Amino acid sequence: MTTRQSPENWDAHLRQSIYRHFIRAGRAPSVAEMAAALSSPKRKVNAALERLAQTHAFVLQETGELWRAAPFSAVPTAFPVCSGKRAWYGNCIWDALGIPAMLQQSARIDASCGCCNYEMTLLVEEGRLLGPKGIIHIAVPARHWYDDIVFT
Amino acid sequence: MLLFRSEQHVDRWCAQWNRPRGGTLTLNQGWRLAKEWYEDRLSPHWRPKTVAEAEAAFARIGLVGDFWKLTG
Repeated sequence: MTTRQSPENWDAHLRQSIYRHFIRAGRAPSVAEMAAALSSPKRKVNAALERLAQTHAFVLQETGELWRAAPFSAVPTAFPVCSGKRAWYGNCIWDALGIPAMLQQSARIDASCGCCNYEMTLLVEEGRLLGPKGIIHIAVPARHWYDDIVFT
Repeated sequence: MLLFRSEQHVDRWCAQWNRPRGGTLTLNQGWRLAKEWYEDRLSPHWRPKTVAEAEAAFARIGLVGDFWKLTG
Protein backbone atom coordinates (compact mmCIF):
# COMPACT_ATOMS: atom_id res chain seq x y z
CA MET A 1 0.00 0.00 0.00
CA THR A 2 1.36 3.44 -0.83
CA THR A 3 0.82 6.40 1.42
CA ARG A 4 -0.01 9.68 -0.26
CA GLN A 5 2.32 12.47 0.78
CA SER A 6 1.91 16.21 0.34
CA PRO A 7 4.36 17.76 -2.15
CA GLU A 8 6.17 19.39 0.80
CA ASN A 9 6.67 16.05 2.54
CA TRP A 10 7.73 14.36 -0.66
CA ASP A 11 10.21 17.15 -1.39
CA ALA A 12 11.66 16.77 2.11
CA HIS A 13 11.93 13.03 1.53
CA LEU A 14 13.80 13.61 -1.75
CA ARG A 15 16.00 16.22 -0.09
CA GLN A 16 17.05 13.77 2.62
CA SER A 17 17.67 11.07 0.03
CA ILE A 18 19.94 13.40 -1.98
CA TYR A 19 21.99 14.33 1.07
CA ARG A 20 22.31 10.68 2.13
CA HIS A 21 23.59 9.84 -1.37
CA PHE A 22 26.11 12.69 -1.35
CA ILE A 23 27.40 11.69 2.08
CA ARG A 24 27.68 8.01 1.22
CA ALA A 25 28.92 8.19 -2.37
CA GLY A 26 30.84 11.47 -2.44
CA ARG A 27 28.92 12.60 -5.49
CA ALA A 28 25.47 13.78 -6.52
CA PRO A 29 22.81 11.26 -7.42
CA SER A 30 21.55 11.50 -10.99
CA VAL A 31 17.84 12.12 -11.56
CA ALA A 32 17.57 8.46 -12.59
CA GLU A 33 19.21 7.37 -9.33
CA MET A 34 16.87 9.60 -7.32
CA ALA A 35 13.87 8.12 -9.10
CA ALA A 36 15.12 4.59 -8.47
CA ALA A 37 15.88 5.31 -4.80
CA LEU A 38 12.35 6.57 -4.22
CA SER A 39 10.63 4.16 -6.62
CA SER A 40 9.11 7.12 -8.43
CA PRO A 41 8.94 8.33 -12.02
CA LYS A 42 11.64 10.77 -13.17
CA ARG A 43 9.01 13.41 -13.98
CA LYS A 44 8.00 13.46 -10.30
CA VAL A 45 11.64 13.89 -9.27
CA ASN A 46 12.17 16.66 -11.83
CA ALA A 47 9.12 18.54 -10.56
CA ALA A 48 10.32 18.23 -6.96
CA LEU A 49 13.83 19.41 -7.90
CA GLU A 50 12.31 22.49 -9.53
CA ARG A 51 10.50 23.26 -6.28
CA LEU A 52 13.64 22.61 -4.19
CA ALA A 53 15.59 24.93 -6.50
CA GLN A 54 13.31 27.78 -5.47
CA THR A 55 14.99 27.66 -2.04
CA HIS A 56 18.37 28.46 -3.69
CA ALA A 57 19.88 25.62 -1.64
CA PHE A 58 19.50 23.44 -4.72
CA VAL A 59 20.66 24.58 -8.14
CA LEU A 60 20.11 22.58 -11.30
CA GLN A 61 22.14 22.29 -14.47
CA GLU A 62 20.54 23.02 -17.84
CA THR A 63 20.12 19.25 -18.21
CA GLY A 64 17.99 19.11 -15.06
CA GLU A 65 20.69 17.29 -13.12
CA LEU A 66 21.96 18.73 -9.84
CA TRP A 67 24.67 21.39 -9.88
CA ARG A 68 24.52 22.13 -6.18
CA ALA A 69 22.82 20.77 -3.09
CA ALA A 70 24.31 23.21 -0.64
CA PRO A 71 26.84 22.87 0.79
CA PHE A 72 27.76 20.08 -1.66
CA SER A 73 28.75 20.82 -5.23
CA ALA A 74 27.75 18.24 -7.82
CA VAL A 75 30.67 19.26 -10.02
CA PRO A 76 34.39 19.39 -9.20
CA THR A 77 35.58 22.75 -7.86
CA ALA A 78 38.65 24.38 -6.31
CA PHE A 79 37.24 23.59 -2.84
CA PRO A 80 37.76 19.87 -2.15
CA VAL A 81 36.83 18.70 1.32
CA CYS A 82 37.76 15.34 2.81
CA SER A 83 36.73 13.72 6.05
CA GLY A 84 38.15 10.30 6.83
CA LYS A 85 38.00 8.26 3.63
CA ARG A 86 35.23 10.34 2.09
CA ALA A 87 35.54 13.46 -0.06
CA TRP A 88 33.26 16.06 -1.58
CA TYR A 89 33.45 19.49 -3.22
CA GLY A 90 32.03 22.79 -2.01
CA ASN A 91 31.05 25.48 -4.52
CA CYS A 92 32.89 28.19 -2.59
CA ILE A 93 34.84 28.61 0.63
CA TRP A 94 31.63 29.21 2.60
CA ASP A 95 30.18 25.91 1.35
CA ALA A 96 33.50 24.10 1.85
CA LEU A 97 33.41 25.16 5.51
CA GLY A 98 29.73 24.25 5.54
CA ILE A 99 30.42 20.57 4.84
CA PRO A 100 32.17 19.82 8.17
CA ALA A 101 29.71 22.20 9.88
CA MET A 102 26.79 20.21 8.52
CA LEU A 103 28.33 16.78 9.09
CA GLN A 104 29.75 17.82 12.47
CA GLN A 105 32.91 15.95 11.58
CA SER A 106 36.57 16.82 11.34
CA ALA A 107 37.69 17.62 7.81
CA ARG A 108 40.48 18.98 5.63
CA ILE A 109 39.80 21.64 3.01
CA ASP A 110 42.48 21.86 0.33
CA ALA A 111 41.84 25.48 -0.57
CA SER A 112 44.17 27.96 -2.21
CA CYS A 113 44.45 31.71 -2.58
CA GLY A 114 41.92 33.01 -5.13
CA CYS A 115 44.57 35.38 -6.46
CA CYS A 116 47.75 33.31 -6.77
CA ASN A 117 46.76 29.69 -5.98
CA TYR A 118 49.06 29.62 -2.94
CA GLU A 119 48.15 26.51 -0.96
CA MET A 120 45.92 27.26 2.03
CA THR A 121 44.93 24.00 3.68
CA LEU A 122 42.31 24.41 6.39
CA LEU A 123 41.58 21.86 9.09
CA VAL A 124 38.43 21.48 11.14
CA GLU A 125 39.03 19.43 14.26
CA GLU A 126 36.58 18.87 17.08
CA GLY A 127 34.44 21.76 15.97
CA ARG A 128 37.31 24.22 15.70
CA LEU A 129 38.83 25.73 12.57
CA LEU A 130 42.60 25.45 12.33
CA GLY A 131 44.88 26.50 9.53
CA PRO A 132 46.53 29.51 8.00
CA LYS A 133 45.32 33.05 8.43
CA GLY A 134 43.26 34.23 5.51
CA ILE A 135 40.51 36.51 4.32
CA ILE A 136 37.26 35.58 2.64
CA HIS A 137 36.11 38.01 -0.02
CA ILE A 138 32.56 38.10 -1.34
CA ALA A 139 32.40 40.13 -4.52
CA VAL A 140 28.62 40.48 -4.72
CA PRO A 141 26.40 42.27 -2.17
CA ALA A 142 24.09 39.88 -0.31
CA ARG A 143 20.90 41.07 -1.99
CA HIS A 144 22.36 40.10 -5.41
CA TRP A 145 23.86 36.70 -4.52
CA TYR A 146 21.26 34.76 -6.45
CA ASP A 147 21.23 36.99 -9.54
CA ASP A 148 24.14 34.84 -10.80
CA ILE A 149 24.90 32.19 -8.21
CA VAL A 150 27.70 30.65 -10.28
CA PHE A 151 29.66 33.91 -10.24
CA THR A 152 28.79 34.59 -6.59
CA MET B 1 33.23 33.60 -2.36
CA LEU B 2 36.94 33.06 -2.42
CA LEU B 3 39.72 32.69 0.11
CA PHE B 4 42.79 34.93 -0.05
CA ARG B 5 46.15 35.07 1.69
CA SER B 6 45.89 38.74 2.58
CA GLU B 7 44.15 42.05 1.93
CA GLN B 8 46.72 42.77 -0.77
CA HIS B 9 45.76 39.61 -2.61
CA VAL B 10 42.07 40.61 -2.43
CA ASP B 11 42.97 43.98 -3.97
CA ARG B 12 45.05 42.29 -6.68
CA TRP B 13 42.15 39.94 -7.56
CA CYS B 14 39.70 42.87 -7.75
CA ALA B 15 42.08 44.72 -10.08
CA GLN B 16 42.60 41.64 -12.26
CA TRP B 17 38.84 41.14 -12.64
CA ASN B 18 38.01 44.85 -12.77
CA ARG B 19 35.62 44.43 -9.86
CA PRO B 20 34.96 46.81 -6.98
CA ARG B 21 35.98 45.47 -3.62
CA GLY B 22 33.11 43.57 -1.99
CA GLY B 23 32.68 42.32 1.55
CA THR B 24 35.38 40.59 3.54
CA LEU B 25 35.34 38.41 6.60
CA THR B 26 37.96 36.64 8.63
CA LEU B 27 38.28 32.88 8.41
CA ASN B 28 36.89 32.64 11.91
CA GLN B 29 33.83 34.63 10.86
CA GLY B 30 33.55 32.35 7.82
CA TRP B 31 33.55 29.28 10.05
CA ARG B 32 30.88 30.80 12.29
CA LEU B 33 28.82 31.71 9.24
CA ALA B 34 29.15 28.15 7.90
CA LYS B 35 27.89 26.78 11.21
CA GLU B 36 25.00 29.26 11.33
CA TRP B 37 24.00 28.31 7.80
CA TYR B 38 24.59 24.60 7.66
CA GLU B 39 24.51 23.00 11.12
CA ASP B 40 20.80 22.17 10.82
CA ARG B 41 20.83 21.29 7.12
CA LEU B 42 20.40 17.53 7.60
CA SER B 43 17.35 17.96 9.78
CA PRO B 44 14.20 16.63 8.08
CA HIS B 45 12.51 19.78 9.35
CA TRP B 46 15.01 22.17 7.76
CA ARG B 47 13.58 25.18 5.97
CA PRO B 48 15.31 28.14 4.36
CA LYS B 49 16.04 31.07 6.64
CA THR B 50 13.73 34.03 6.29
CA VAL B 51 15.31 37.34 5.33
CA ALA B 52 15.08 38.50 8.95
CA GLU B 53 16.66 35.27 10.22
CA ALA B 54 19.48 35.48 7.68
CA GLU B 55 20.24 39.13 8.48
CA ALA B 56 20.17 38.30 12.20
CA ALA B 57 22.66 35.49 11.58
CA PHE B 58 24.96 37.91 9.73
CA ALA B 59 24.67 40.41 12.57
CA ARG B 60 25.60 37.80 15.21
CA ILE B 61 28.86 37.30 13.35
CA GLY B 62 29.49 41.01 13.00
CA LEU B 63 28.50 41.20 9.33
CA VAL B 64 26.52 44.41 9.31
CA GLY B 65 26.01 47.30 6.92
CA ASP B 66 24.45 47.77 3.51
CA PHE B 67 26.55 45.03 1.86
CA TRP B 68 24.95 42.38 4.07
CA LYS B 69 21.36 43.51 3.71
CA LEU B 70 19.14 41.15 1.70
CA THR B 71 16.49 43.66 0.76
CA GLY B 72 16.32 47.30 -0.29
